[in-house]
Amino acid sequence: MAATTTPMLEVDDLRVRFATPAGTITAVDGVSLTLGERESIAIVGESGSGKSVFARTLINLLAGNGTRTGTIKIGGRDIDELSTAERKHFFGVQAAMVFQDPMTSLNPVKRIGAQLTEAMRYHLKMGKEEANDRAVGLLRQVHIPSPEKRMRQYPHELSGGMRQRVVIAMALACEPRLLIADEPTTALDVTVQKAILDLLDDLRAERNMSLILITHDLGVAEGRADRIGVMYAGRLMELATAKDLFADMRHPYTQALLRSIPSTDMASHTRLHPIPGRPPDLLNPPQGCAFAARCRHAQPECVDIKPNLLESSGDHWYACHFPVGTSEGRAALERNETAGVTAAGLPLDEAAEEFV
Amino acid sequence: MGRVVRRTGFAIILLLTVSALTFGAMNLLGDPLFNILGPAAADTTPAGVERIEAARAEYHLDDPLPVRYLRWLGDLVQGDLGVQFSSAGQPPVADLVVERLPRTAVLLVLAQLMATVIAIPWALLAAPRVDSWFDRLSTVSTFLVVALPNFALGVLLKYVFAIRLGWFPQTYTADAPLPDRFHQLLLPALTIALPAAAVYQRLLRDDLVSTLQEEFILMARSKGLSRARILFRHALRPSLFSFVTVFGLTTGALIGGSLVVENIFRIPGLGSAIVEAVVREDFPVVLAIVVVVASVFIVVNFVVDAVYAVIDPRIRR
Repeated sequence: MAATTTPMLEVDDLRVRFATPAGTITAVDGVSLTLGERESIAIVGESGSGKSVFARTLINLLAGNGTRTGTIKIGGRDIDELSTAERKHFFGVQAAMVFQDPMTSLNPVKRIGAQLTEAMRYHLKMGKEEANDRAVGLLRQVHIPSPEKRMRQYPHELSGGMRQRVVIAMALACEPRLLIADEPTTALDVTVQKAILDLLDDLRAERNMSLILITHDLGVAEGRADRIGVMYAGRLMELATAKDLFADMRHPYTQALLRSIPSTDMASHTRLHPIPGRPPDLLNPPQGCAFAARCRHAQPECVDIKPNLLESSGDHWYACHFPVGTSEGRAALERNETAGVTAAGLPLDEAAEEFV
Repeated sequence: MGRVVRRTGFAIILLLTVSALTFGAMNLLGDPLFNILGPAAADTTPAGVERIEAARAEYHLDDPLPVRYLRWLGDLVQGDLGVQFSSAGQPPVADLVVERLPRTAVLLVLAQLMATVIAIPWALLAAPRVDSWFDRLSTVSTFLVVALPNFALGVLLKYVFAIRLGWFPQTYTADAPLPDRFHQLLLPALTIALPAAAVYQRLLRDDLVSTLQEEFILMARSKGLSRARILFRHALRPSLFSFVTVFGLTTGALIGGSLVVENIFRIPGLGSAIVEAVVREDFPVVLAIVVVVASVFIVVNFVVDAVYAVIDPRIRR
């Protein structure tokens, strides 16, 4: 992250709200983020954490009932200040997206070739021949065998892994500098997942792209991203380099998330710890910390006051009043354990935890 | 290939059933003798009886019904549709069909074209704006047009555009030059087209709305394509199924509907021909028209089947 160059992506106090018949939902609640050139960041969160909405908002895919505030700058350009002419060829060129389910993200009635060349012809005004040649090259780059043949095929003639490669090739068509991958491997077989993630890694290196990887799986994020942001109820809870996050996590939510997923490093039969309770109701968000109701550290302060995302040391940010690994955090946990219940009313005995 | 053979076999069975049922129904209606001979059929003088017997023999009216049907079928296969019982001199049925069919055919083709040309842009405008004022207004007007009886719509259009504004002639004249006759058919075609367009718009709009929720539309949007391009190039084709299906089925119904319109605008077409023939119990004419209509219906739906495969590669085999 060279400080001298313009960051690839700057997001400042991004808020996304959806008007629903039941009321307004705040899906993204004040997220700020900077992503350098060639840098990769993973945004990790449960479903409903707002990570997908965040990703889609970056590339101008907000649903009709959504409103956005806060600024988004891609390659130094504020997306709200683009002229109509610039805007026409901005999204899909500067930034592109890979979606979760390759079974549904390709148009079933159009040939692979037509879908691949479309953006090149539309944005880059390429002729048919040139676009075709480049599309074949792209298919080769994403390691699709006999690309000429694939160009003439329809999506249903390809396997899931192949289709996701096609989706990636499509996203790369106009040589974006920022690639957003929204759960790119969730819908795929485990055996294919690694191959797709490796491919994204290689392509990022080859093409000097910045990458935002949206995932619910900390395991996917580990080793794939320079930095990891943990999102919960529309807010970033913790943001750190991947190494720091795993070695020195601060947010009780990050800790809980890690304890809830199996890892290959664990001894067999290691007990997993599900996170008690449910994510907060976004129609009526809690006044204080969104995680307080499920947090083992929760104190009265957590219920009342929303913690801000603050930098502690060397690019490690977290939003917590009583962080893990600090004396305040340890004291808070001890208090709760002694009382057997947190300030938010969560019982702490192990037996209760198991039956959640 | 097997599919084509199967479909053709199915079409033949359908035609046989339809014509046999019509043949039976027409004979239940009355004695064709009266239509051939007129009042002379009740003549009981020896000369009269002789003429009656001669006619019975000539038209094989003494044979059992199935035998007569098979005889008719045999003639049909050889291209002979028989003679018109009720017309003076009993000219061939084929003459009538050749005279009347093109008018109704042009009328219906025109009507279906208009309906499609109206319905597709209408649906494309409404679908991305679900529940907008435009969409709501569309819904109300489609219900209105569909609920309005055909003759009321026809009379209304005729009054406004032909009588008041004078943009179109009020009636059809069979001996006018071709461009004039085409012009004369526009308003009747519109009368048939509007309710059809309304139905098509409903179907297409609903299918488009659900297609627009698909993830591949989101993918297309993420490529930064324009709204119009996404609608036309990505959303329209996968949304055509209900429309195409009903388009095929409607073709049959429209032939019935054209009858009213042909009446209002005085077009001597197939619709009016079949009504006249039924009233006069002229069953060779009725049979011929039924067979023609059924064949057209079968062919159109044959084409619809082929169109499915064009729309969606997943059903190509």
